Amino acid sequence: MKRNSLTIIIGAVLVLIFALLLFVFQVRQSETAVVATFGKPTSQNYDQPGAYFKWPWPIQKVYKYDQRVQNFEDKYSQTPTADSGMLLTSVYVGWRISDARQFLQLFPGDPSVSLPNAQSQLEGMLRTAKAAAVGRHPLSDFVNADPKALKFDAIENEIEQDVQNRLRTNNFGFELEFLGFKKIGLPESVTQTVFDRMKSERQVLISRAENEGKSAAQKIQSDADAEAVRTIANAQANATRIRAEGEAEAAKTLPVFQQNPDLAVFLLRIGALQQTLNQRATLIFDERTPPFDLFRNLPTNAPSH
Amino acid sequence: MSDEHEHHHGHEAPEAVDAGSQALAEALGSSFAIVKVVMLLMVVAFFGSGFFQVGPSEKAVILRFGKPVGEGKGALLGPGLHWSFPYPIDEVVKIPITEQQTVQSTTGWYFTTPEQELSGEELPAGASLNPAIDGYAITADRNIVHTQVTLHYHIDDPKAYIFNFASASNSIQNALNNALLFTAAKFNVDDILTRDVAGFQDAVLARVSDLTEQAHLGIVIDNCQVKSIAPRQLQDVFARVTEARQNQSKQINDANAYRDKTLLAAAAQASAITTQAAAASANYVKAIQADAKAFTDVLPAFEANQNLFAQQKVAETMALVLTNVQDKIFLPERADGQPRELRLMLNREPPQPKSATANP
Repeated sequence: MKRNSLTIIIGAVLVLIFALLLFVFQVRQSETAVVATFGKPTSQNYDQPGAYFKWPWPIQKVYKYDQRVQNFEDKYSQTPTADSGMLLTSVYVGWRISDARQFLQLFPGDPSVSLPNAQSQLEGMLRTAKAAAVGRHPLSDFVNADPKALKFDAIENEIEQDVQNRLRTNNFGFELEFLGFKKIGLPESVTQTVFDRMKSERQVLISRAENEGKSAAQKIQSDADAEAVRTIANAQANATRIRAEGEAEAAKTLPVFQQNPDLAVFLLRIGALQQTLNQRATLIFDERTPPFDLFRNLPTNAPSH
Repeated sequence: MSDEHEHHHGHEAPEAVDAGSQALAEALGSSFAIVKVVMLLMVVAFFGSGFFQVGPSEKAVILRFGKPVGEGKGALLGPGLHWSFPYPIDEVVKIPITEQQTVQSTTGWYFTTPEQELSGEELPAGASLNPAIDGYAITADRNIVHTQVTLHYHIDDPKAYIFNFASASNSIQNALNNALLFTAAKFNVDDILTRDVAGFQDAVLARVSDLTEQAHLGIVIDNCQVKSIAPRQLQDVFARVTEARQNQSKQINDANAYRDKTLLAAAAQASAITTQAAAASANYVKAIQADAKAFTDVLPAFEANQNLFAQQKVAETMALVLTNVQDKIFLPERADGQPRELRLMLNREPPQPKSATANP
């Protein structure tokens, strides 16, 4: 009895597992699914994760799609700009299946077949939209130091809106999440002329730097010289003023000397004598010079006349 | 009922039938035992298949009937052995991610192979850039630069990162490529390469943040490094510009140093001139005032007897002078009373000997 009930439990578990495998399908967080009964899609989209009931194959078949954002980029291709330049561009997009039922109707078959079909449709739309948008703008809208004149974002938006509108009109069951430029370049021959131009611009910068350096240095030096001369001249003017002030101050004592000009002159002469015969001088004098005139009338061994 | 009826009719050889049915029952019994063992094994195998291992540089998420088990970062299972219900109840999604992810841009750099990158040796640059293989960005002043950005980020919202994007890291890479093109389109070549390298990097980072936030990629950017170089075809001429600019600033620095030196010297000289003038003037005034005082002091004596005063003063001065004077020569009067003629050799220094050999 005990053995039998164990057997029954095990059997029941196995039956349950097989039943689950046959009648239940899972939709993952990242998936969306649509069920086709004898090849015809049913009306319901299973875009929420969970376990759902289905009749076993061959009555019903489940088509599961990745509901996540998928990356795709178009070919790096050359198109003319509005100012008749040539620009190579490639755009990347993030796209996702938004309506699995619609997608299955337009792109029938297994995802391994239908996804490449959808992507080639997308690529065609991208190519058309991109060529149209690039053709509406000059190169200065793609690259510009002035943020107001730069239309980079606007061009990306134009392409995205264009593709989005086409997707909606055709009701493809998928939509764009984002779009941006992946690569922007110039035709190979143009890169060489750009290099030549860059080179000559660099030469201009080199000579400008050399000349500017020289002239700036010269200006600084001559300014400094002029400033130095001015400073010294000012100082000399100051010195003259100071001396004049001193002389004016000294002149105030003049009335004192005017009490007796003879004495004043005499004292000046005495002072001058003292100052001139101060050091390293040789003085030659005879008997007439005081105080040596004292020797004059002394008896000498000179013959008298 | 009909089966039982037939059974009833077939009781012709009960012993043989009994033996046969016994053998059958035994056979059935033993094969049923085998089936039971097989069933048990299948159940064990079914639940046993729920064990799975997560490697050191990956994470796993368990989906129960399609929905992730756990919320936010709690949904991520780290390395080790884990168990889940087998399919179709649970499903395990493994994601090759580490704590910090790194992505590098792909469309801004010239062509190199991974081997060349490792060895550091590159093929010489051609005259032009081949659009099929060489990447670059066009700057606002329509120059060409090579630029590359490396982004480090970590996953903040695993649910968004894993279940909303087929390849989130590729989406981030596209955002990086776009950010380089967009930012280079706004910057001039000299700003990108030398003048505003940090500003360029910040602008690239801002654009990447914008794009990843708009797309709800569920990541947090840790940092990004941008490196940019001039086209290899123009490296030497770009280097010469840098050199010329360095020379320019050196010339200006030298000139500034000269200015500082000159102005300091001038200021010092000016200050010396005024100081000297002030000192001289003050001394002059003091001397004059001292003279005036001396004058006033001696005036009564002079007025009392001019001659005596003069004599006295001259004698006093001569005494002073004679002590200071180096050579004193006294010429007595000639006997005939005529003045003496005196010849002076005005050369204080003794004549140098012509040479040592001429005058041994």
